[in-house]
Amino acid sequence: MSESLPARARVLFVDDEPRVLTTMRILFRSRYELFFAESGSAALELLKTQPVDVIVSDQRMPGMTGIELLRAARELNPQAMRILLTGYSDLNAIIGSINEGEIFRFVNKPWSNEDLTTTVARAVSAARATQAVARRSDDAPAPTAAAAPGVLVLDDDPQVPPKIQAILGGDFRVFGARTMEDAVGHLEREPIGVVISDTRVQDNPVVALIGTLKQHRPELVSVILTERADAGSAIDLINQGQIYRFITKPIHDSQCKIAVNSALKQHQRLAQSPELTQRYEVERAPQPPPGSVPANAGLLERVKTLRSWVKRWV
Amino acid sequence: MKLRWTLPALAAVLALAGLAFLLRMTQNVDTTLHNERLALLRSADNLDIALNRAFTQTRASSLTDAAADRSKITAELGATLDALDKGPKSLRGLSRALDQRLDIFLDTIDSKFELGFDFEARSTLLTQRAINAVDAVPGRIADTLALLPAGAADDLRTQLTQLQTQIINYGVTPTPTNEPEIRATLNALDTLGAAQPDAVRQRMAELRALIEPLLADKGELVRMYRDFLSRPTAPQLEAVEQAYLGWYEGQLAESNRYRLLLAGYAGVLLLVLAWLGLRLRRSYRELDRANAELSHANDHLEDEVEKRTHELSAALDELRASQAQLIQSEKMASLGQMVAGVAHEINTPLGYARSNAEIVRTALADIRQLCGAQQKALQLLTDEAAREEDVAHALSTAQALGESIDAGALTDDLDGLLADTDHGLSQIGELVASLKDFSRVDRSRSDLFNVNDGLESALKICNNQLKGRVEVIRRYGALPAIECSPSQLNQVFLNLITNASQAIGETGRIYLHTQAEGDGVAVRILDTGSGMSEAVRARIFEPFFTTKPVGKGTGLGLSIVYRIIEDHGGRIQVRSAPGKGSEFAIHLPLRQRRAATDGATQAADAMEAVAA
Repeated sequence: MSESLPARARVLFVDDEPRVLTTMRILFRSRYELFFAESGSAALELLKTQPVDVIVSDQRMPGMTGIELLRAARELNPQAMRILLTGYSDLNAIIGSINEGEIFRFVNKPWSNEDLTTTVARAVSAARATQAVARRSDDAPAPTAAAAPGVLVLDDDPQVPPKIQAILGGDFRVFGARTMEDAVGHLEREPIGVVISDTRVQDNPVVALIGTLKQHRPELVSVILTERADAGSAIDLINQGQIYRFITKPIHDSQCKIAVNSALKQHQRLAQSPELTQRYEVERAPQPPPGSVPANAGLLERVKTLRSWVKRWV
Repeated sequence: MKLRWTLPALAAVLALAGLAFLLRMTQNVDTTLHNERLALLRSADNLDIALNRAFTQTRASSLTDAAADRSKITAELGATLDALDKGPKSLRGLSRALDQRLDIFLDTIDSKFELGFDFEARSTLLTQRAINAVDAVPGRIADTLALLPAGAADDLRTQLTQLQTQIINYGVTPTPTNEPEIRATLNALDTLGAAQPDAVRQRMAELRALIEPLLADKGELVRMYRDFLSRPTAPQLEAVEQAYLGWYEGQLAESNRYRLLLAGYAGVLLLVLAWLGLRLRRSYRELDRANAELSHANDHLEDEVEKRTHELSAALDELRASQAQLIQSEKMASLGQMVAGVAHEINTPLGYARSNAEIVRTALADIRQLCGAQQKALQLLTDEAAREEDVAHALSTAQALGESIDAGALTDDLDGLLADTDHGLSQIGELVASLKDFSRVDRSRSDLFNVNDGLESALKICNNQLKGRVEVIRRYGALPAIECSPSQLNQVFLNLITNASQAIGETGRIYLHTQAEGDGVAVRILDTGSGMSEAVRARIFEPFFTTKPVGKGTGLGLSIVYRIIEDHGGRIQVRSAPGKGSEFAIHLPLRQRRAATDGATQAADAMEAVAA
């Protein structure tokens, strides 16, 4: 693999419908060096010889689904950013792609050219900015007890934080919060590295909070733990909140432990190499209609003033 | 059943046996025998005493009488002892201590008998000799006295007279003192006699020679009977009696123990009997109550039947309502699944068509700009008043624009994009048409319909599930159109094809066979999927039976399929081999019988009604 960056960014499009590839070619040919594949296996063959910056794949393809492709591509080419194009929201597929494919964005079919080009452009710039760092990302050290950041659990159910503490053992401090107010309070006072949250707290969706946190505390890593999983909110959470893992209740000890540990590791990695955070940049939430003030606007303002704890323990 | 009777019978026999045993054990003390044994012991004691007395009296009575008495007593005693030793009243074998003591006693009394026999043998001779000696002594003393000078030797006379008295007394009753007294007198006579003349001394020596054997004989007799009397038969017999009484006490105590046990056992038996009685009584009471209830129920049967009928019909109504609701929710679920699949199918062409349209619009702006520039250049060219430089500038601008846009390539691209868009739109159009075909809402419910078309439209609807994964092999025969409800049959085909596709894990095949068959058409749908066990196969048409996880299927799909086929007067059969695949075979008649058509129409009406 060459160390010098190619002049033009390289983008791979994968879709079993050749007409989609034609459209992509015409849409992006002036900006990037383009590669095309009509199936997952062809894409993987191509990836073995061609390093690319961004992979855009359809989800439903015969033989290999988009998630399977992106998961394999992540092994093969970890620094490439992954975007999934879906025509039909299958919840399991989406959760799988979050946890196994570490997706940058979901794009729904039919797409708008403007949004798609913006998203691809973001992915390209993140990929190119972090290429050097991303290459060494796999040898990040495991979190050690001495530098252990705290874990914040935001859930309506007061039983969840102690359960998480029990699963993680004594090495990490777990803070429980039942309202977003509490959560922000903890974030102001404690060195939190990972936020575990339900999709809704006190009947309010947490996506705005998580998205704002990601914008202002990019080294914070979020894990969603919920029993009310639905495809739409999962897509919003990845696109607007860059959640790192999505797990469903009831809590399975080992699954939860693996997810939280890898989230802590990810946090460590982000804290050590702040340039990596570009890879987890979030979409701006859609602006609320003029005149209506969101209920948690004040809270989000507080989040924006959160100072980073990173320096404390790096 | 056999066991049920054997066990109680066995228990009863055991209980009775226990009772008999305990009764027998309380009867082990025989008082009569005991008294007889005691009498035997007493009589042995008495006879022993009598025997002793007989010996003691020997000297007092005449010799022959005493001997006769003794032998009579001895014989009686011997018989008594025999009875004690053996026979029905014997004390033998009752206890070891008793046996030992009895042995000691019998040994002793045997030796006593031997002594008795010795005594009998010696005593006649000795006694006779003693009597003779005693009788001779006074004569000798008189002889001696006669030799003594008168008036002299008074002491000697006195002594001799004393000796005579002593000897006579001794002859009657020997006492412990009289033998030494006689010896003392003899010694005194010896002393006194020393001074006497020889004749006197001679007489006195003769006298001594007569008296010494008498003393010896008499002494032997006395020793013999003392020895006889000193045998400890009485204490030994008493020890025997004590041992026997001890044994008897033991028997009594044991018997008492068994009596106590018997009482306890009887008590327990009584309790068991009481419990059995109670149970019996209770079951009788229950029986009575059941009888009473039965007669009561009989009395109220009609009311009850009426009430139940009412309840049942209410439940039936409820069931019908919920069935309709369930059928509706199953329809909605499969509809949702279908819509999701079709949405994806539509979203892909829609996606590129829309994107292409945007690209074309963007490109149009460039083309418009180029057109404007060319228009302007053209206008200047045709304008006489235009200056040369302006014309040249306009021309070069238009040319530069044309080069940068590469109008030729761009329009080719746009042509391509528009062709793709056309294709996408027609694909969407086809999908919508197949949806319409599938739903058949625009056709009547007993239309003439070609089943092959139905299979095709179902395939189009679930194409997204099959595409690239499942190979569909069509073997359609030439079919006559049949009278049916096309939308219902399409639903059947979609359901069966979807099931087949779900049964196929990764990749596989679905075969669709159709052929005309007698008075109808046969449709077979085969898959190379996982198949099912016989237990599952037997139940798949039951409502609510599902092998899918909770929440994934209502379990109504195939029951609806079954009902639709039945309503059409057809048949559906299933064969399956686990691991190999399944086959659903449907036979549909050409024409609907009136009633069957009504049924199908009713079912369809019900569905339409709930859907509305």
